Amino acid sequence: MTVSIELIPGRCEGHAVCEAIAPEVFRVDDDGMVQLVPDSDHDDATALAAVRSCPVAALRATS
Amino acid sequence: MRRIAVVGGSIAAVTAASWLRVRGFEGTVTLLSAETEQPYTRVPLSKTVLSGEATDASTALPPLDDSVDVRLGTRAVSLNTRARRIVIDNGEPVPYDGLVIATGGRARRLSPPGMAGEKVLRTLADCAALREDLARAHSVLVIGAGLLGMEIASTCRTLGLQVTVVDRDPPLRRVLGPVLAQVITDAAREHGVVLRTVPGGVRLVGSRTLEGVDADGDFLTADVIVSAVGDVPAVDWLTGSGLRLDRGVVTDSRGRVANDIVAAGDAAVVRGVGRRPHWTNAVEQARVAADALLGEDVAGVALPSYFWTNQFGVEVKVAGEPAGLGEPDMVDVDGSSMLLRWSAGAAATVNHTVPVRKLRQLASAT
Ligand SMILES: Cc1cc2nc3c(=O)[nH]c(=O)nc-3n(C[C@H](O)[C@H](O)[C@H](O)COP(=O)(O)OP(=O)(O)OC[C@H]3O[C@@H](n4cnc5c(N)ncnc54)[C@H](O)[C@@H]3O)c2cc1C
Ligand code: SF4
Repeated sequence: MTVSIELIPGRCEGHAVCEAIAPEVFRVDDDGMVQLVPDSDHDDATALAAVRSCPVAALRATS
Repeated sequence: MRRIAVVGGSIAAVTAASWLRVRGFEGTVTLLSAETEQPYTRVPLSKTVLSGEATDASTALPPLDDSVDVRLGTRAVSLNTRARRIVIDNGEPVPYDGLVIATGGRARRLSPPGMAGEKVLRTLADCAALREDLARAHSVLVIGAGLLGMEIASTCRTLGLQVTVVDRDPPLRRVLGPVLAQVITDAAREHGVVLRTVPGGVRLVGSRTLEGVDADGDFLTADVIVSAVGDVPAVDWLTGSGLRLDRGVVTDSRGRVANDIVAAGDAAVVRGVGRRPHWTNAVEQARVAADALLGEDVAGVALPSYFWTNQFGVEVKVAGEPAGLGEPDMVDVDGSSMLLRWSAGAAATVNHTVPVRKLRQLASAT
């Protein structure tokens, strides 16, 4: 992987759109907030599609 | 297939373009968007961006990469499917081998063309204009008590305005069903909103400018009048294309419209299912449609649909479509939080944290 993903603090509302696209990268836990799966082995294009799918623009990718 | 054109500039278009690359499509992807802004999310426009708590800039979606040619301020005006050509507003033809229709919807207006004074909320520009008007106002009249109208009402209360909402149906009933609608209606009343139901519908009053509405003989007016009476699928550019239109462009369960043409999001009407004008649906349809365009044999989305609303301190998450299902078969109440389930295929939470994945599984379990 070359992109790394960040959460913009205070924005996630737990809608899990990102998780539905890339469960290997995002996990919405019982507290309803997204967590990044540590050291995930993922496909960059899929992770980017997930980053762009957040309805509250809570995710950011940096390469 | 060498060239794919994606028409639209919001979440369905962005997801389709992203997904074509996920599936390894290496040809040209051109995105034509009528908007002059980079793609953004509309979801906060009735909530934190309208209140001023969040900035306009915070709505920007993470950008597409350079492999997608994004043409902003470019409106498609017609489509010739035989010649495989879109014509854009400056008259230029845009040829394609594959086409994704993702033109979404625009706000429906009640007033006739030429009458001023009716505000709507669909775009960032609408939001900025409404926010400015609200800053100078003491009162607002919202026409339409659906999700959008009630969210606008909620935000206006946090801004300290006097708020009246009028609709021909009781608030939110059509989209949430009686139980969930009641929870929010009670919260809205507690927050001081005046709710009026006018079964015959309202009549607009005014000639050049909208002055108010006649609600069963009562004249209702306010400093700002905003209507939230649904959206119209933006498919006018497809008139004459030969594609089947029925309040949107008609697709099969995998988004296919015709040979090498797919559609997704608010512009699409799925045969036998209808239109689902919500964010998650636009994302999921766009993925399925992109797959179908590339000829990938991937089944449609299996999980029930999902949407949500936040208003008057109530956070509602809904899986499936409970509106037509009447009373839920199960209601778990714990203080102000609730978990509801309809065995016919829906589930919802009110101020209750359950991972959305589980909520959707709960809705589909029979
Ligand atoms: C204020 C507001 C709040 C919302 N809140 C929620 C919420 O909380 N939860 C939820 O699930 N959903 C919510 N929604 C609904 C959600 O935003 C929509 O379902 C979603 O935006 C649909 O995406 P789309 O890409 O299909 O269409 P749209 O977002 O309508 O985008 C269509 C795009 O196509 C462009 N376009 C149109 N015609 C042409 C043309 N001829 N040529 C080129 N480009 C064209 C438009 O300019 C636009 O960029 C909300 C909507 C609004 C307006
Ligand atoms: S980051 Fe966005 S898409 Fe992911 S769970 Fe949070 S709100 Fe949902």
